[in-house]
Amino acid sequence: MNRVTKRTWIMGLFLLVLLGGMVFFLWEYVTQAGDWVVFSGSPHVYNNANIGCGTITDRSGEVLLDITDQRTYSSDAATRKSTLHWLGDRKGFISAGAVSHYAGKMAGFDLVSGIYSSSGEGGQMTLTLSARVQNAALEAMAGRKGTVAVYNYKTGEILCAVTTPTYDPDNAPDIASDTTGQYEGVYLNRFLQSTYPPGSIFKVVTTAAALDCVPGILDKTFTCTGTYAYGTESVTCEKAHGMLTLETALSHSCNCAFAQIAELVGKKNMVKYVEQFGVTDSLSFDGVTTAEGNYDISNTAPVSFAWSCIGQHTDLINPARYMTFMGAIAGGGVGAEPHLVARVSAGEEVTYEADTVKTDRIMSKEVAGQVRQFMRNNVRTIYGDGNFLGLNVCAKSGTSQLGGGQTSNAMFAGFVEDEAYPLAFMVVVENGGYGSATCVPVISKVLSVCKAVLDGQ
Amino acid sequence: MEELFSSLALAQESYAAAYIGILRFAVPIISAILLLRCAMPLLTFRREPEIWAWLNMTDGTQIPITHWESVIGRSKSSDVTIDFPTVSRNHAVLTRYDDGSWTISDAGSKDGTWVNGRKVQICALNDKDRISIGGVEMQLQPITQRQEARQAEIRTKAASGWDSVANLMLLSILQCLMLLGFLLNCRQEDTVSILEGFGGILICQWVLYIFYCMIHRKSFEAETMAFFLCTMGMAAIATVKPGEAVKQLAAVGLGVMTFLVIGWSLRDLERAKAVRYLATVAGVGFLMVTLVFGTEYYGAKNWLVIGGMSLQPSELSKVCFVFAGASTMDRIMSKRNIYTFIAYSILICGLLALMNDFGTALIFFCAFLVIAYLRSGSMGTVALAVTALIFAGVLALKIAPHALRRFSVWRHVWDDPLNAGYQQVQALMCIASGGLFGLGPGQGFLKHVFAADSDIAFATISEEWGLLVAVMMVLCVAAYGFFAIRTARVARSSFYTIGACTAASILVIQTILNCLGTLDILPFTGVTFPFLSNGGTSMIGAWGLLAFVKAGDTRQNASFAVRLNKKGG
Repeated sequence: MNRVTKRTWIMGLFLLVLLGGMVFFLWEYVTQAGDWVVFSGSPHVYNNANIGCGTITDRSGEVLLDITDQRTYSSDAATRKSTLHWLGDRKGFISAGAVSHYAGKMAGFDLVSGIYSSSGEGGQMTLTLSARVQNAALEAMAGRKGTVAVYNYKTGEILCAVTTPTYDPDNAPDIASDTTGQYEGVYLNRFLQSTYPPGSIFKVVTTAAALDCVPGILDKTFTCTGTYAYGTESVTCEKAHGMLTLETALSHSCNCAFAQIAELVGKKNMVKYVEQFGVTDSLSFDGVTTAEGNYDISNTAPVSFAWSCIGQHTDLINPARYMTFMGAIAGGGVGAEPHLVARVSAGEEVTYEADTVKTDRIMSKEVAGQVRQFMRNNVRTIYGDGNFLGLNVCAKSGTSQLGGGQTSNAMFAGFVEDEAYPLAFMVVVENGGYGSATCVPVISKVLSVCKAVLDGQ
Repeated sequence: MEELFSSLALAQESYAAAYIGILRFAVPIISAILLLRCAMPLLTFRREPEIWAWLNMTDGTQIPITHWESVIGRSKSSDVTIDFPTVSRNHAVLTRYDDGSWTISDAGSKDGTWVNGRKVQICALNDKDRISIGGVEMQLQPITQRQEARQAEIRTKAASGWDSVANLMLLSILQCLMLLGFLLNCRQEDTVSILEGFGGILICQWVLYIFYCMIHRKSFEAETMAFFLCTMGMAAIATVKPGEAVKQLAAVGLGVMTFLVIGWSLRDLERAKAVRYLATVAGVGFLMVTLVFGTEYYGAKNWLVIGGMSLQPSELSKVCFVFAGASTMDRIMSKRNIYTFIAYSILICGLLALMNDFGTALIFFCAFLVIAYLRSGSMGTVALAVTALIFAGVLALKIAPHALRRFSVWRHVWDDPLNAGYQQVQALMCIASGGLFGLGPGQGFLKHVFAADSDIAFATISEEWGLLVAVMMVLCVAAYGFFAIRTARVARSSFYTIGACTAASILVIQTILNCLGTLDILPFTGVTFPFLSNGGTSMIGAWGLLAFVKAGDTRQNASFAVRLNKKGG
């Protein structure tokens, strides 16, 4: 008997596996349950592939999406189209990363209570977007592809971030069998996921670099004859601009002058400032990360380096990131990181409230002030203040050449210099042609609606 | 009564929600109190050594005999060690019977066992009989009836009757609270079957308890825990397939009857040994019938469909296997007996290989390991090890490749959340959604997932009643395991020790495979959770196994499976 009794410890092995396994699971529960509950398809939080619990409204409280039962989008067709890429579609082709990021908060998840809500109500999420501005931007794009974005560089709230093409989720077209190309890249959120050759809007980067590192740059003059030769190759302008200062070189967007400015800055400094300004970094907010830009001048000939300072060569920027760069200039060297989700509540409890996150200081107050002044000059002397009634707009346009016989992309970046309307913006119209001519009417409409929305608050 | 409930069901939704708000906390609290009250006596009872006889040596020394089965030999691990060169390592076995009589049997010793100068194989011992082992003379002096009665008096009593009543009352309150939660939330047409399911279990447990009182047994802890698990199983069924509540209730009833029948047959060791042959044949029979007439589901031929009823006879074979494996000490010591068991195990192994049922095969394999390890004396070790190897080989070569396909997602379920990892991913999401206190009866989502009331029932309970309650269910089964180990030291016969340990092992292994499979800590095998999972044969099997665990309980007045001493009663 003793022998048999002693051998019963073998059962202890099984008990050890059982209890050890349970302890291991509890550890996993404590460390991972928050991820499990918001994993795509989690039945209490999701409705198919997109978040499915509660309602999502814009900044004014207008309901954009009600997912307590099924996915019910806004009753307004234009709003459905203009906000689709932030809310996600029914089939999960467009993943609404920023909104999904707060699924757990919206469901009111915590380790003790799970997603149990004593009030039995679903969650509520308020976006910083304004449906009114979104619709105005969509309309201003007039069927062209690209993106229009506006954000408050003091608080970080994104008022507008429209991406086109888009479609009405309640009236979805047959995208798969479309041959016209009008829905090309329709599932892409261009504001976040695309990168574009910046063209002349990149001259702002070169200008800021020159102001910081070239002594006496403001007293220097540059002569434009229409071409600036590097051996057999050259940098060209559409016409000869004559003698220019840094300020007029920027306002006339003179390539030849900027080729000379690039030489003064030098390759090493240019790389340093691109990194310091962060214009090619990816940007992360609300759980989404933007595409990374590109600035690569290793092993390049002098002419290519010159083009790289003019925003061509292999330069690429992401609209969201460049808009944030504009915000930093507007803010005197420090802006706010953009965000899309203002507030989340589950039942009666507020589970998330956005905070303003300041960017790092990317340039001195003096340099930022000087660049701001130059950009203000651009609008006053070139783009025309009449396009922006009641707003002190500072901006730079760009016409980025694509090659392959394609029409250039029209780019426009800038901000409003006004305490009451601290807005930075970015417009891209793909194959839109001449930058300012195409983009100014678009942003002019959008900013006027933004102003009205801010006035109305 | 029914009208009252149906009118309650029609009450305001907010009323139901408020009730759930309270219920979420009430259920884990009551469960915790209940399980603590039940498990503590099982895990902490005093295990006093009892002396049943004395061996008087010629030099006047007395050696106490503390078990009903004792090995005499030279080996240090013998119960009575006689360090004398002519004594074999395992020389003879002394056995006490229910009526107080003793026998001695030779355990294949070199010099044989002699009683009153006669060489014997097995021999009943009378007063003053001279025993000679390897030339060492001794006499057995059993304790007197008075001493025996005194021993019974001081033996740890099973819980007082009032404790058991209080536990049952707690469980009944729990059942009523849960039932009301369901009635407030379920569909109108399910009201009756849910009411019958919960009510039936409640009645069933009280009927069994009253029967215990009639036969003067007071320990009801293990049974209360089993009924607790059955109640949770009913909660899973009420939310997943309310229509099957009555069927499950019938299974509980049949399970309790099986429990009583097996317990009764275990009560008398001689009867148990006789029933053992029947069980052995039945064990193989169940598997053979399944193999011939069975239906294949998901690659494993383990279902038998009779007139619309689906049975899984391999669940019952487990109980039979425990019977076949359990053995008394004198038989453990005989070679012939071990070979019979080995042959039987190989036969079972072959049948399982043909059935392709990985989960069941794994359980049998572990049960075999437990039995083999508990039994293997010096002589059987090698043979048993070889058999274990054959068993493992068949498992690895024949069955595992088929099962491996399902195992490929193990620890990778999140990479394939819509196909191979679907059940586990849904289970984990829903466990997280439920938190520690659950979402309330009928509020879960898992009911839409395949096998929510059986293979992933742990998660279903966790989602609706909270992780705390779900963990308590696992602790319940673990308590059976600890109890089986603890009782071994005071067990009267190795038959009971082996039976209790093997049965508890099977319960624990099933829980391991079920729970840890659901939680993606082990591969998902689709094994049932004892007492919890929806399934008639599984329920009956679990109660059958519990009878073996219960038979190991030697506390005074504890187990109906142990006969009361007439005077000690």
